[in-house]
Amino acid sequence: MMDRSSNNQPQALKPPEALMRAIAQDLRPVRPAPQPLHLALRMVPLALLVSSVVLLAIGPRPDTGILGPLLTWGASAAQFLVAIVLIWIAAHEGTPAGRLPRQMVYSAAVVASLVVVFLTLLTFSTSPGSETLGVSVWIANKTVHVSPWIMGFACGIGSTLFGGILVLFFSWVFRNSLATRPTVAGALYGAGAGLAINAGWRIACPLSTPWHALGAHGAAIIATVMLGALIGRSLGNRGLHVGSRRS
Amino acid sequence: MIRYQGGSLEAFQEIYAQLAAGVRRYLSHLALGSEIADDLLQETFLQMHRSRAAYNPTYAVRPWVFGLARNVFLMNRRAARRWAAVHESREDLPEFPVLPEADRLGSQDEIRRCMAHLSPDQAEALLLHHEWGFSFEEIAGMLGISAAAARARASRGMADLRVALNNLQRARA
Repeated sequence: MMDRSSNNQPQALKPPEALMRAIAQDLRPVRPAPQPLHLALRMVPLALLVSSVVLLAIGPRPDTGILGPLLTWGASAAQFLVAIVLIWIAAHEGTPAGRLPRQMVYSAAVVASLVVVFLTLLTFSTSPGSETLGVSVWIANKTVHVSPWIMGFACGIGSTLFGGILVLFFSWVFRNSLATRPTVAGALYGAGAGLAINAGWRIACPLSTPWHALGAHGAAIIATVMLGALIGRSLGNRGLHVGSRRS
Repeated sequence: MIRYQGGSLEAFQEIYAQLAAGVRRYLSHLALGSEIADDLLQETFLQMHRSRAAYNPTYAVRPWVFGLARNVFLMNRRAARRWAAVHESREDLPEFPVLPEADRLGSQDEIRRCMAHLSPDQAEALLLHHEWGFSFEEIAGMLGISAAAARARASRGMADLRVALNNLQRARA
């Protein structure tokens, strides 16, 4: 598999001295990278932990009985699965010989958006409640007075912060990624982080209204996508200024 | 590559000896004959060294290194914003590769001229398959397209090349 077209090649080249010196300076053994699927699966425990922090802190939403286990836990599990798929695609993007077709990458992004919208609408149609009632029930438990707007900011900023932590962790894992399109790869793992956080957050958040779920939670997902894209881009452009070295 | 990941300098030299000539011609094609291909070749192998831990043995080495070379080229192009300048010089292609399959269709000069008028996507898929012998699945993994799309690009490229060569020869006759 090394070289099938060797009959076409003129002659074997020898590496220049400067390159050999640079290589010889650091020849410590390294472990081969895991496959994209294994890489994505390795991130599951931390993603699960960070996404369940809010759920563990304030407990599940008051209408879990109305929603049922499928729409509460099942829907979040499905969303978490989509997040892992996005991270798996990002890992493929970072492999020079293992990139997935562009259509598949963009389709996955569209499907992930549709999943969030669909689950939001399904949750709202099953347990619309009233915004005030939902908050009142939550307030009754917590004995604090909050308006839906403050809830919106709390959910938006809170999920962005937790999503940001995950994005930073993913960026560290993907720091040696060899993505041809580092911005796309970063946006993909940013989306994965956003979806993973939202999967836990939606079980804790007492508001079902689409404006809240899509406005606050959706904005947090978009923020993590943008953060991932920015980090991916800056990591991707690091140290590749070949032309500037030329004399 | 596994020996190289284990710290063998000889393994690196073997990889370089087997792949450098092909990678250089590929980079020369991407850079449209620009002299920067030599710098990019060294940068590709330096990048390969820095990222040797990112290689997974389930992938073949050759498409991985060619994909890395493409990556280095694109990053350099982005950084230097040279794309427009490089394209302006499409007519002067000192080292544009000539397909072995197309050799019987015309002179090397004619083939070079006609290849330069193919779309960059078609020319790249055509050369990766016919010149460097990659399978369509390997090309798909390197370019981020489906194997069917890689086949279609190469096939349309070859068809367009034939038409362009015929037109050129007819015009000369």
